[in-house]
Amino acid sequence: MSTATSKELTPNAEAAEPNKPPNYKRLTDDDLFRHSSQYRFWSFTPEQLTQKRIQVNAQATSSVGESLRNFISENQANLAEEDIKSIEEKAVPVTMEEEIKLVSIYAKKLQGIAQHLNLPTEVVGTSITFFRRFYLENSVLQMHPKLIVLTTIFLACKSENYFIGIDSFSQKTKRPKDSILKYEFQLLESLRFSLLVHHPFKPLHGFFLDIQAVLHGKVDLKYMGQIYDKCKKTITEALLTDVVYFYTPPQITLAALLLEDEALTTRYLELKFHGNFQAASDSTNQESNEVISKSNLTINFDVLMNLITSCKQQIEKPTTVSVEEAIAIDAKVQFCSDPNKLLRKLKRRPTDSSLTQFPTDKRPKVSD
Amino acid sequence: MEYTKEKKVGEGTYAVVYLGTKQSTGRSIAVKEIKSSAFKDGLDMSAIREVKYLQEIQHENVIELVDIFLASENLNLVLEFLPSDLEVIIKDKSILFTPADIKSWMLMTLRGVHHCHRNFILHRDLKPNNLLIAPDGQIKVADFGLARTVPSPHEILTSNVVTRWYRAPELLFGAKHYTSAIDVWSVGVIFAELMLRIPYLPGKSDIDQVEVTFRALGTPTDRDWPDVSSFPAYNKLQMYTPPSREELRRRFIAASENALDYLCGMLTMNPQKRWNTVQCLESEYFKEAPSPTEPSKIKIS
Repeated sequence: MSTATSKELTPNAEAAEPNKPPNYKRLTDDDLFRHSSQYRFWSFTPEQLTQKRIQVNAQATSSVGESLRNFISENQANLAEEDIKSIEEKAVPVTMEEEIKLVSIYAKKLQGIAQHLNLPTEVVGTSITFFRRFYLENSVLQMHPKLIVLTTIFLACKSENYFIGIDSFSQKTKRPKDSILKYEFQLLESLRFSLLVHHPFKPLHGFFLDIQAVLHGKVDLKYMGQIYDKCKKTITEALLTDVVYFYTPPQITLAALLLEDEALTTRYLELKFHGNFQAASDSTNQESNEVISKSNLTINFDVLMNLITSCKQQIEKPTTVSVEEAIAIDAKVQFCSDPNKLLRKLKRRPTDSSLTQFPTDKRPKVSD
Repeated sequence: MEYTKEKKVGEGTYAVVYLGTKQSTGRSIAVKEIKSSAFKDGLDMSAIREVKYLQEIQHENVIELVDIFLASENLNLVLEFLPSDLEVIIKDKSILFTPADIKSWMLMTLRGVHHCHRNFILHRDLKPNNLLIAPDGQIKVADFGLARTVPSPHEILTSNVVTRWYRAPELLFGAKHYTSAIDVWSVGVIFAELMLRIPYLPGKSDIDQVEVTFRALGTPTDRDWPDVSSFPAYNKLQMYTPPSREELRRRFIAASENALDYLCGMLTMNPQKRWNTVQCLESEYFKEAPSPTEPSKIKIS
């Protein structure tokens, strides 16, 4: 072994920064996010989002209307005038606003089930996200939310690499395997085959560390821990609102931080934008000591504050629905997809064989 | 039907691959049909990973996911058609390639891998057979069936990833946590294989892989990899001294000093000291002569 010729294997530390070509540009995190499926498929302006929901609802409403008219004309002979009147009165397609309400009730239920299954926060978040995205592509009139809840959780687990076998999943949720598996393809298709969800949880961890670096010695670690846990909960709540379609994950994180401690968050951001970081100069963390270089700034302090403040206000106002209202919406959805159900409910339903099966109803008939 | 399936070209445990054409444009494509029946738990995990990560990556050096469709209860991934791969080329002794060609393949591979890493995606199965070659000579990183998101600091992972010969030492030790450094190791082994034209660390079994790896590159010690001796398997190891520079020169006869630095950077035992993709891409190896061959000018047939 010749030591005389052996050379250090480490790269040259003194190597100068190479000259960059004239068109040199380093991709920013913003650039990367703009290429994500979350940005490409699932980010909207409020107007676009409303438009999307109007369209989904209008399509479903017209197809339900047609099915109901067919049902009445096919069963004309067996239906009393009052029956027809009841169908026309009660099997009314739900409005877009009612759809939003029903979806948000079931999203909340889904959250409860996912938490009951002890799934990690991220998996719960992905389940909620998948479920809500599904109803940007489908109407509750086409697929009742209760049918897709477990499929959503099941797929979210797999997508987040938190695999639970179908046998075990079916046992834990007390639902037949087939009822969970049969909608998996439809769900995947409605998700436009995009499964990677960027949640605000990762940025939360980043801000958590950065706040401590920037406000070095001025924040209590235990207090920061409490803020962290509260923010995690707030973020999960935020995932149940439309802010996920309007803001980027780190913006939602900042809104959650603002909600928990406005003074701290504002002070942190002020320092980040305007500070000289003298206070933190003894910190060993180089990156956090960097003042954001002016050329890298894509946004100014006031714009960001306005943005996250309005995001915060939307998080604070989640969709709330009373139990009565929920039951009423649910009934309309059920009557629309199965007018027989309405007739049964009215106890006026003629014998089973006299009515043709309503097309979307695949459940066995139960006589009253 | 927008896509035709003309010829079956491969069959794996979870998918069948066909060559076909996109009808509206006449473009050649490959259709990967996922066998739904093969998996009782619904959609297969490999298929989910492949869809999940390929949807996020659009890069010249990563295989393009053209489309996805459902047909007769099966999920079909439409991928760009890639006629060859590095394994085929390494094995075909009638093909002669130059150090400049190797440099070009390395550059393209690293660009693709770097793009995955900066999107927080680990490939976890890099090997010559997964580096496909497009008709225009571009390398495309393919097969994301084992990919995952870069783990958070305390996440527990399975070390049973990466095809054996390309498995980093931390995986051989059964580490419960690892980073994107495992992909860089694989690229290093592929680089060695391209120069040697035979597999560099061909372990016959998982146990043999440990032996082969450390015999070639030296058994790591706590000095250059703190706490490496605390891995359960460490005590059973045969201690080998790392190769001297002269031994490396003799093994890789055509490699320049910068090429050897680059190789050693990627094949550093300690994952924290191992080069990352940026260090690799900025290394002197890529700056010195010869320049990487223009991809379309590499002769592979």
